[in-house]
Amino acid sequence: MKLGYTIIYVKNVPETVAFYETAFGLSQRFMHESTLYAEMETGETVLSFSAEEVIELDGLAFAPNEKGATPAGWEICFITEDVRAAFEKAVKAGCSPVSKPHEVPWGQTISYVRDLNGCLVEIATPMNLGG
Amino acid sequence: MRLPDGYQERIYTPQQARSVEAVWRHEEPCAGRSLILPDGRCDVIVRYNADPDAVPRLVVTGPATQPYWVEFEAGDRWIGVRLRPERGRVLWGDALGGAKDQVALGDEAAALVPELAGLSVAGFAETNLRHALVRFVEGRPLSPEGHRVGETVRRLHLTGGRFSVAELADRAGCSTRHLNRMFASTVGLSVKTYASLVQFHRALRLVCEAGGSLSDAAFEAGYADQAHMTRAMRRFGGFAPSDVPEGLIRPDVSGGLWGNRAT
Repeated sequence: MKLGYTIIYVKNVPETVAFYETAFGLSQRFMHESTLYAEMETGETVLSFSAEEVIELDGLAFAPNEKGATPAGWEICFITEDVRAAFEKAVKAGCSPVSKPHEVPWGQTISYVRDLNGCLVEIATPMNLGG
Repeated sequence: MRLPDGYQERIYTPQQARSVEAVWRHEEPCAGRSLILPDGRCDVIVRYNADPDAVPRLVVTGPATQPYWVEFEAGDRWIGVRLRPERGRVLWGDALGGAKDQVALGDEAAALVPELAGLSVAGFAETNLRHALVRFVEGRPLSPEGHRVGETVRRLHLTGGRFSVAELADRAGCSTRHLNRMFASTVGLSVKTYASLVQFHRALRLVCEAGGSLSDAAFEAGYADQAHMTRAMRRFGGFAPSDVPEGLIRPDVSGGLWGNRAT
């Protein structure tokens, strides 16, 4: 099976799309007319945002993503060459810094922020496995 | 599970109305009785009959926590407005504290909502009735407390009633005692009772539509075990999970934010 989507459930889809455009330099690929679902231009594996309010009819339930609450145990990771610039841009846009850019033993530079909905977002340099 | 014949709902999205969760109508061509499941919400209903000489009756329900049977004659019809949970006070005012599992009929109902007493007159038009009910509810603004409670109600629905009262209070930025006090004064129930109802409705949906075993449904719904789910279904539905009645009316009791399951 192919990994098709990472879908983050949020309170406000248009607001989240606008935030990701500003904070991480992404572009919107698609917005449903209901504004309850949108996709970002991220290549083959799509990053999508879906409105929380639609979940109950499918029998879903989860801990909602909230800025003030403990984040969920997963992250999305953006890869870029200039992590420091990307980190500063994200924080300037309103992300909460969690771990500023730093090098790890295997040569990668990584950093962590939380987005407007409290989701964990990693910004890192590409990892060269088997370098 | 499709809705039984004769039952229709129109869900109001947040954009359309902040106070009304759904306007529903129901008609029964034959005499009989129906099981109504509790959903912790208040409705204001006009009950009438296809016979134009029958006098319509005003009904105001308090937040229900137990299932109950409604008996009806051939041709009986209902138009109801279901309020968001945090709007119980709109109908009951200070009497909300004693409104749990209560139903006000006739003069009692008219005393609670005198503005609607004029609807109990034979020969009205159904659309006028619907508009009058919705206008009445929308005309009552929600208190700041109601808005705060509304946020917690939202979390309760997103989490399927699985968050503890402590976690909910934490996210609401207040003590559990304060949260319970606010719930009592706007919903008319404790947070735990409302959460249990949300959990029950989700479990019912999982049992009917998840495609797994009863034990799977119990686990996914957040019960400690299947026995706990059985206990909840007996308490709120009067039936065992293995024995869900056919033709059960399961109106959309989600946060009322999206979708219309009726045609």
